[in-house]
Amino acid sequence: MAEEAIRIESVTKRFGDFVAVDDVDISIAQGEFFSLLGPSGCGKTTTLRMLAGFEVPTEGRILLEGDPVENVPPHRRNVNMVFQSYALFEHLDVENNIAFGLKRKKVAKDEIKSRVTEALELVDLSAKSGARPNELSGGQRQRVALARALVNRPRVLLLDEPLGALDLKLRRQMQIELKEIQREVGITFVYVTHDQEEALSMSDRIAVMSDGRVAQCGPPEEIYEHPTEEFVAGFIGISNLLQGRVESGNRVRIGDDCLEVPDLGDGHGEGETVQIAVRPEKVAVDEVGGEPYRVEPDMFTVEGEIESKVYLGVGNQLTLKLGDGSRLVALEQATYRMKADEQWEVGQRVTIGWHPEHCMILS
Amino acid sequence: MDPALDRGEGLSSKRFWDWFIFPGGIWIALLFAIPLFLVLALSFGHVDDFGRGVYGFSMDNYKDVFDSTYVPVLVRSVGYALATVILCLLVGYPVAYFIARFGGKYRYVLLAALVIPFFVNYLVRTYAWVALLADQGLVNNLLVDWGLTQEPIQMINTPFAVIGGLVYGYIIFMILPLYGSIERMDPSVVEAGKDLYGSPLQTFLHVTLPATQAGILAGCVLVFLPAVGDFVSAQLLGGPDTYMVGNLIQDQFFAASNWPFGSALTVVMMLFLAVWMVFYLRRASKGEAEVL
Repeated sequence: MAEEAIRIESVTKRFGDFVAVDDVDISIAQGEFFSLLGPSGCGKTTTLRMLAGFEVPTEGRILLEGDPVENVPPHRRNVNMVFQSYALFEHLDVENNIAFGLKRKKVAKDEIKSRVTEALELVDLSAKSGARPNELSGGQRQRVALARALVNRPRVLLLDEPLGALDLKLRRQMQIELKEIQREVGITFVYVTHDQEEALSMSDRIAVMSDGRVAQCGPPEEIYEHPTEEFVAGFIGISNLLQGRVESGNRVRIGDDCLEVPDLGDGHGEGETVQIAVRPEKVAVDEVGGEPYRVEPDMFTVEGEIESKVYLGVGNQLTLKLGDGSRLVALEQATYRMKADEQWEVGQRVTIGWHPEHCMILS
Repeated sequence: MDPALDRGEGLSSKRFWDWFIFPGGIWIALLFAIPLFLVLALSFGHVDDFGRGVYGFSMDNYKDVFDSTYVPVLVRSVGYALATVILCLLVGYPVAYFIARFGGKYRYVLLAALVIPFFVNYLVRTYAWVALLADQGLVNNLLVDWGLTQEPIQMINTPFAVIGGLVYGYIIFMILPLYGSIERMDPSVVEAGKDLYGSPLQTFLHVTLPATQAGILAGCVLVFLPAVGDFVSAQLLGGPDTYMVGNLIQDQFFAASNWPFGSALTVVMMLFLAVWMVFYLRRASKGEAEVL
C-alpha cells in the first residue's frame, strides 16, 4: 500500500450514553478515494467530523500522515471539508468564498489571486467569480464549496454527502466530475454517503458502517461480490437470503436440494445453519418444461412460481416463490437475445437457477 | 363552468373583501392621520396671549428648534440613544447567541424569561430602577452597609442612570431579532469558517457577524428609534442635565404650554427618525434586514 494518509486507531465516540462510533480502525492510503458508506445514524458522519476536528474521539487515536491530531482544533488541521449544506458564506462573492482559507493562512495576495483563478478553472466557474452564492444554482454552489476546500491544497479532503442535495441527473454528472478532479489533484478524498451506487462507482475502497462499527472494508468489487455479513449484502444492492444447513465439506442443504459451494469459509461445522445470499441479477429463470434458455446445466436449480413482476424498462424484476414459501428476487436484464413475444405471467411455474460460485456465504 | 363567469365571480368576491379595509382605515384616519396633520399644522403657528396655540404660517418654531439652547438636547438625545444601541448590542448578542445555539430544549423558556418582564409597564419598571439607584436605594444601602463606601454614591441623575434605564427598557428589541437571525444561521457555516483556518475570533468576525447582520441591523434600528424619543428614563432617573428631546417635547405640551414649539420639535424628530426608518425598510425589502 502507498503511504498512509489517515489512520483511525480504535476510535470510539460517545454522546452521553449513545455510542456513535464504536472501536473503529481504518487506514486510508495517500491519494485514495475512500468512502464511508452506511445508513443514517451508522456513525459515518461522526467519523468524518472527527477527522475534521469538529468532534474529539472519546477513545482512540487519529493520525494524519503519522501525526496524532485528535486534539488539534479544526483551524489548525491541514484537512478541508465540503459540507452537505455547502455552508457557503452568503455575504461574500464566489471569489472571496474561495479565498477565505488562504486569507486566514495569510498567503501573499498575488498567490491568493492565482490560486483562486486556478481553482475556479478547475471547477469550471471562472465566469461566476463575482456572483453571490444566492445567485448560483445548486450544482454551481456545490462547485464553489469544492473549490473553496481544494484551493487550500489540504492533505485530505473530507466530503459529507456533497451530492445529496442535487437532482439525479446532476448527481451522476458531478460523480464523474468529482472523480476526475480527484484524479487531477491527487488529494486523498474521504467521502461520506448513504448512496451505495455512488460509493461503488467512485471509490477505490469502501468502509460499510453499521451501528457505529465498520462492517466490511474493501474495494467496491469485493464489497459487492463477497459481502461478509448479512447487513453488507442487504445494504449494497438487493440480496436474496436463503437459509442453508452445512452437510459435509462444502455441501449445503437448502430445502430438499443440495448445493456445492466453492468456498464455505472457515469455522462452519456440520449441521450448522448458514446464510446464503444471491444477487438478483445472478438468478436465471426459465419456463418449466420449456427448452432451457437461460438456466445452464451446471447451475443449482429449484422450482417455484412467479409471484409478481415489475417492468423496469431495461428488464423485469421478478419476485419468485419457492416451494417452502421463501421468496427470491430475480433481475432479468433485457438483451438482444430476448424473445420478442416473451412475457412472464404471474403464477407461472418456473425453473430457477444460479451458479454455485455466485452464492455468498454470510457469517 | 364558463371561465369568464368564473373570473367575474372571483372579482366580485375580491371586491367584497376589499370593503374590510374601511373599519381599520377610518380608525387610522381619525386617530392617527388627523392628529398628525394637526401637529404639523400647529408647528407653523404661535402662542397667543393666553398661552393657547394658534395656527399660522411662520417658521419661527423651527428656528427655535435649532437654537443654541436646544441643540445640545438634540445632540444628547442622539448620543444617549447611540450609547444605548451599543450597550444593547454588547449585552444582547452574547445572550441571544447563547440561547439560540446552546439553549436546546430550554430556549423558549429562556426567551419567555426575557420577554415576561416586558409585560410590565415601562414606567413601572423604570420606577424599580429608582428604588435601586437612589441615594437611599438598595444598591447604595448595601454598599454603605458592607463598608465599601462611606457616603452613598451619586447614581441617580447621572447620564449612566439614564442610559442604563434605556438599555433596560429596550434591550428586548435587540435580543429578539438577534435571536432570530442567529437561530436561522446554518451552524455548518461557522464550522466552515473554522475548517478554513479561521481561529474562533476570526470566525466570529468574518463569518458569524456577517451572517447575522440582518438581525444586528434590525435590533439597532428597533432600539434606536424609541430610545431617541424616550422621556421616561430621563424623567425618572435623570435631572436637568440629562434631559432628552422627549422631555423637552413633553414640557412644551404640559409645563410650558407652548404647543406650537412642541409640535415643531415633534416634526423635526419624526423626520430625523423617518430617515433611519426608510434606510432600514430599504435594506429589509432587499432581504438584507430582518423584518419584524
